[in-house]
Amino acid sequence: MISDGILKTSVLTGTLEGHSIISPRGAKMKRQVAADLLLTALIDAFSILVIFLLMNFSSTGEILMIGKNQELPKASLAAVLERNPVIKIDEGKLYVEDKLVDANTITAELLELRKKYQELHPNEAFPGVATIQADRRVKYEFLNQVILGMNQAGYSDIKFAVVLK
Amino acid sequence: MKHSKKHLDFEVNLIPFIDLLSVSICFLLITAVWLNVGSMDVKQAVGGQAQEDTKKSPLVWVRMTAQGDLDLEVQQSSLIPATLRKFRVAQQDSKVNWEELEKALVNLRQADPSINTGLIQPTASTAYEEIIDVMDKLKKSGMTDLGVSPL
Repeated sequence: MISDGILKTSVLTGTLEGHSIISPRGAKMKRQVAADLLLTALIDAFSILVIFLLMNFSSTGEILMIGKNQELPKASLAAVLERNPVIKIDEGKLYVEDKLVDANTITAELLELRKKYQELHPNEAFPGVATIQADRRVKYEFLNQVILGMNQAGYSDIKFAVVLK
Repeated sequence: MKHSKKHLDFEVNLIPFIDLLSVSICFLLITAVWLNVGSMDVKQAVGGQAQEDTKKSPLVWVRMTAQGDLDLEVQQSSLIPATLRKFRVAQQDSKVNWEELEKALVNLRQADPSINTGLIQPTASTAYEEIIDVMDKLKKSGMTDLGVSPL
């Protein structure tokens, strides 16, 4: 294509040709094609990347599934999130461990979870901890139903899921 | 006996090392969690304790209004002067004045460093984000026990 067009004269036989390092037509000397690749810099870069990623690595796994339309509130002083029963408020709906509930059935569902915990850990005291995952714009009126339900079911420790600032 | 001279220098084969690093980077990049999620801890009084058994420690009530004003009230503290016992942090452009709240909490903690409990009383229309922000400010001022009052 180049040979047919105007580029033939401008590129192939132009000033660039004379200055080409790869195959200068003017210079008769043969150059070595193979070149040594300096690997030290590459290993340095890789090592720094591995260290950076290891430092940010989270071994706790994914505890919360945050939906596309959900934005958690931001806080600068927050504790590490632990695995507890999750009560999710998503688009006006209530979920206890991904099971759809409403304001009337949330207490029964939480009591069911409490019963299961006590069956699995008969010699341990019930910790009464649950995590609330809600959008930052949710009104307290809605959140209050969850808090009251938790209180009735004996969940006294509430953990509000937040994004660290 | 004839000793042959050998070169002491040798080349380390770097290819397996690069392979290992590449695999590590791929694994870490795939499994990385970029969103840092934490939790704000709140303790609720369930009501199983008798009133006499409850330890009376100094506490601050933060009552939020629908307009963005905050009414602060200190209870069970003898060190707080009368002017700081009950006061209002007025809103700014219909929003909570966070700077004033921060200053007020610092003043309270300076007057009585034993105030470790902060209780928040939001209104029905208060946004969840604002409650978390108030909690964050209380924590920043050094309070460790936080609570949210139901409606």
